[in-house]
Amino acid sequence: MKSDTLHVMAVYTKTIMKAWFQYRTDALLSSLTVFFREATGIIVIYFTLLKFGNLGGWNIYELLFLFSLLFLTYGIMIIFFTGLRDFGKTVRNGGFDRFILRPRGLLFQVIFTNADWFAAVGHGGLGVALFIITAGEVGIEWNLRNIVYCIFTVIGGVLIQGAIFLLLAALNIYLFETNSLKELFYWNMRKFAGYPISIFHKVIQICMIYVVPFAFVNYFPAQYLLRKPDMAQYPAVYMYITPIIGITLYMLAYGFWKYSLRFYKSSGN
Amino acid sequence: MISFENVSKFVLSDISIYVPEGKTVGLIGASGAGKTTFIKLACGLLSPESGTVRTIGLQPEKERKQLGKMLGILFTDISALKMDDTVAGNFELMQKVYGINKEKFRADYKDLSERLGFAAFENQMVKNLSLGQRRRSEIGAAFVSRPKLLLLDEPTVGLDENAKQVFYELLKEREKEGVTVVFTSHDMAEVSKVCGRIALIDEGRIRYYGEEEQLRKKFAPINKILLEFSDKIPDLEDLPVVRYVVNDNRLCIEYNDNYVTAAEVINLIMQQSEVKEVKMRKPDLGDIIIQLKKKGTEKWEVL
Repeated sequence: MKSDTLHVMAVYTKTIMKAWFQYRTDALLSSLTVFFREATGIIVIYFTLLKFGNLGGWNIYELLFLFSLLFLTYGIMIIFFTGLRDFGKTVRNGGFDRFILRPRGLLFQVIFTNADWFAAVGHGGLGVALFIITAGEVGIEWNLRNIVYCIFTVIGGVLIQGAIFLLLAALNIYLFETNSLKELFYWNMRKFAGYPISIFHKVIQICMIYVVPFAFVNYFPAQYLLRKPDMAQYPAVYMYITPIIGITLYMLAYGFWKYSLRFYKSSGN
Repeated sequence: MISFENVSKFVLSDISIYVPEGKTVGLIGASGAGKTTFIKLACGLLSPESGTVRTIGLQPEKERKQLGKMLGILFTDISALKMDDTVAGNFELMQKVYGINKEKFRADYKDLSERLGFAAFENQMVKNLSLGQRRRSEIGAAFVSRPKLLLLDEPTVGLDENAKQVFYELLKEREKEGVTVVFTSHDMAEVSKVCGRIALIDEGRIRYYGEEEQLRKKFAPINKILLEFSDKIPDLEDLPVVRYVVNDNRLCIEYNDNYVTAAEVINLIMQQSEVKEVKMRKPDLGDIIIQLKKKGTEKWEVL
């Protein structure tokens, strides 16, 4: 059965696409809505920063480069981890019980039966556009070393955010509802991540590095490519360990997920 | 096939039961008696607070994947089908997920979809189906992987008479092939019709488990025979019956099934008179259970 895992993944993807394209116009409009909603936020930030010139020593394009990494990693992450983001809903509508009864891995089913393509196209599209524009403006040299660095860093950034969602999904087994925690630990922390962490209070910096390590998703990787003076406050090694942080966090979250499954109670009764 | 040893969970309290391979067992009891909890424990959706559960020799929770390949499951509150996919799409996914041989799958899908009638709407999204249409498709989904064990929770809810008959036929066919079936129902007539064995669950305990006939013999042995004669009523003095009522050329006999069979009674009568019509009446299973409850729990010993 293991050999047909790719085949099953393909069937799951086909099902998601079928549902997505059932109402094509709506799908297109939804993706465009996400794109323009997020882009509007960026435009507001752009015009605000035009007034100031720079923020903590970061010019407007360097700041937007930080945003681009955030959008890009979220866009990719949401293709694979929508099921974890929406896990509470899956539990409540009995979908997780259905997964338990099927002879396949639980996490495999949670991940591959869901993908928020609207968010993926909206966020990912914006991320790619911003990345291309801003990388040119800030003068990043595209040699092999930087390309490989970016690939591994993006993977690490995706895994860090995936680990947060996996951890919250596991907590869902105990708490039944984790929307407030998700709001607090993911969406609120993500708002800080759009800016250089060096401009924030020490407590927020500690949170961004050691509690919900968004700093490793975009700030430290951007520092590797931009070498801004505020990096002197942090160990230089932080610029290189995003993939390691991502893998480690994901493994830890996975361990907690596996442990938590034994406490899962079926919906109803 | 299924064994529960001193299992407690929610309302279920210290229950022990063994369901042998190839049997069809009906779980009956009032709402909240613990029937669905029993099914959820057997398939691994719930773990027991105490005691041991084994299904097809496996620990349902720990050996979920191996067990899943051999189970066909139907719940009222958990749909086997993904709502935002078509019926056919769901079955295609099942073929891959369960690793079912393509040819075998096609033949079984064709048979089930035609007999249960979901071929007519196989390209519709599940979320757009009526309850009856969805239930017919879900029954198909429970049967299509050719499971060794079928766990069916209130399987006929939402089905019309036609679909119910097809479902009963399917159950009989699978039983002949050696498939074990456990199904819950409130409909005593349905359980009586389909199940060789019944398990009565009341207030979280199994009050009776065994053949329906044994239950009747133990708790409701008095059956009725209604006869209509062409001419004279026979001499009833020596008949081994509990009581009888004569009304013109009709006779109503009550006999104790523990001491004499219906065939013996009828034979004795037919030796004396010409019988025009015979009707047999057994107490309704539901009535037996209600009577037992009224008499108190001391009567409800597990056989």
